[in-house]
Amino acid sequence: MSLVAVVAQTTSAHGIGGAKDLPISPELAIAGAVAALTVSFTVLAVAWRTPRFDEATSGLPSSGLTRLVDSTAWRLGWRVVGFAIFAWAMFAAVAGQDLLTNPFFGMFYVWWWVGLVPLSLFLGPVWKALSPVRTINAAFAKISGSDPEVGVFTYPERLGHWPAAVGLFAFVWLELVYPFSTELGPVRLWAAAYLAVMLLGGALFGNVFYERADPFEVYSSLVAKMSPWGRRDGQVVIRNPLANLDTVVARPGLVAVVAVLFGSTGFDSFKDSQRWVKFVQGNDFIVSHSWADDLADNIALLVFCAGVGLIFAIGTMATGVSSGERRISLPNKFAHSVVPIIVGYIVAHYLSYLIEVGQDTLIKASDPLSDGSNYLGTGDWSVNYWLSYHPTLLANIKVGAVVLGHVLGVISAHDRAIKLLPQRHQLTGQLPLLVAMVAFTVGGLYLLFAA
Amino acid sequence: MRRILATTASLICLLALAACGDEDTPASGSSDPVTIEVTFSDGTVTPQGERVEVETGQDVELQITADEPGEIHVHSTPEQELEYAAGESTLTIANLDAPGVVDVESHTLDQVIVQLEVS
Ligand SMILES: [Cu+2]
Repeated sequence: MSLVAVVAQTTSAHGIGGAKDLPISPELAIAGAVAALTVSFTVLAVAWRTPRFDEATSGLPSSGLTRLVDSTAWRLGWRVVGFAIFAWAMFAAVAGQDLLTNPFFGMFYVWWWVGLVPLSLFLGPVWKALSPVRTINAAFAKISGSDPEVGVFTYPERLGHWPAAVGLFAFVWLELVYPFSTELGPVRLWAAAYLAVMLLGGALFGNVFYERADPFEVYSSLVAKMSPWGRRDGQVVIRNPLANLDTVVARPGLVAVVAVLFGSTGFDSFKDSQRWVKFVQGNDFIVSHSWADDLADNIALLVFCAGVGLIFAIGTMATGVSSGERRISLPNKFAHSVVPIIVGYIVAHYLSYLIEVGQDTLIKASDPLSDGSNYLGTGDWSVNYWLSYHPTLLANIKVGAVVLGHVLGVISAHDRAIKLLPQRHQLTGQLPLLVAMVAFTVGGLYLLFAA
Repeated sequence: MRRILATTASLICLLALAACGDEDTPASGSSDPVTIEVTFSDGTVTPQGERVEVETGQDVELQITADEPGEIHVHSTPEQELEYAAGESTLTIANLDAPGVVDVESHTLDQVIVQLEVS
């Protein structure tokens, strides 16, 4: 235990979890890049010429599912589950010790941030169902006899998802740049600030605030658009995930959300690469100024996120448009097509981390106060490292996920392009976006190779 | 749609074929340890973030020359913390069983010394 205590008190910036994945082999990286490139142009050459995905008609309605999902028992059940996990995390955060054995870190960085992605991908918008801030807001409304959907003000349309983008950036900044990201005080403070802003926002604008501005709900609900679960006219429908993805509403700030998500994950790979480590430690100016390496990390994170947004904006706007269309609105209208690319890269980047540190967190969660207790009965379990011991399989899954994400992204962008762009620009107008997507995918593969 | 799916499927098969060349090797543990010379002086350390290849099960010996005592943090799973004294000493990093990249850091200097590529 004393070793861990020493580790927790030191100030070096590194997250939780031990060894990282091996880099993928150059052959695999090149094979993935070639596959992504070939598929992109195949889609452009052979895919349909009239839009396929239509929100108004797509999906198979299920009245049984609708009844289940809309039932009070179902809704209340998930609220209770969400609030119980939240309360347990708060217990560890407030009463637990500032040690890496405190499960709060794993619940915060692994279960919440990473676990939300597969849950939303398979089950739909889970954060909306679990969110403790929605639960508290609903409880307040119940007590005061008001409607949780309605606030004092109407949420300004122009704000869109911008607050969520800022919130997501604040999270990745804490995780990837802030030097004390594994000390209890700062992480607890971040969580408290999140709660405060969310409760205030809910009171001011009602539940629409969570839909638009809660970084976690926006992230979760965006990924959930790649699940087969959707809604049409209040009915639950089972949809082709690509048709479901097409129903993402292009609100202001959507591009910023996807840029932060993709850019920050790329930066996370990049900051462990030998190139960056050697630059930060070898540059005379950075070495001689103690603040300079933190500044370098800050700048790099910002450059990654802004870079993704800029490349995407140029890729979508470099086309001819019809007279009724404003070019500046195109990035948001195409932003949904980056979601599969993000999910593919998240799988590649986080799969082993989620599985292994996720299990480790479940073990630690049994002893929230680090006093040797075993409240949940999971304390004597041990982590299964099977995936780490099969690095070839892991590398194949990673590249497969990146390529598959790219293919789905290209298809959704294609369908949107033939819907939006004037006939004579439909193919040429897609080219710059295709180049941007290939750049993202090849860049992602390069980072997996150089990690 | 079907043509795209077919193309994708065949490409993924190709990918799998391309990647199946190397088999996962089991931990050996029999080979000699990898030796790395590490020098601490005037608040700097060499090497600086170098990649070193290690086989699973193989130990790593750090031959340390230091002007001040300090400690080294090994980001293996589980993590290891090793202390060294001023002067010359040898530290052994053992239990590198799982494949992966393990950072070896000086927390005193906030620097990555080497990254062990265990495979
Ligand atoms: Cu360390």
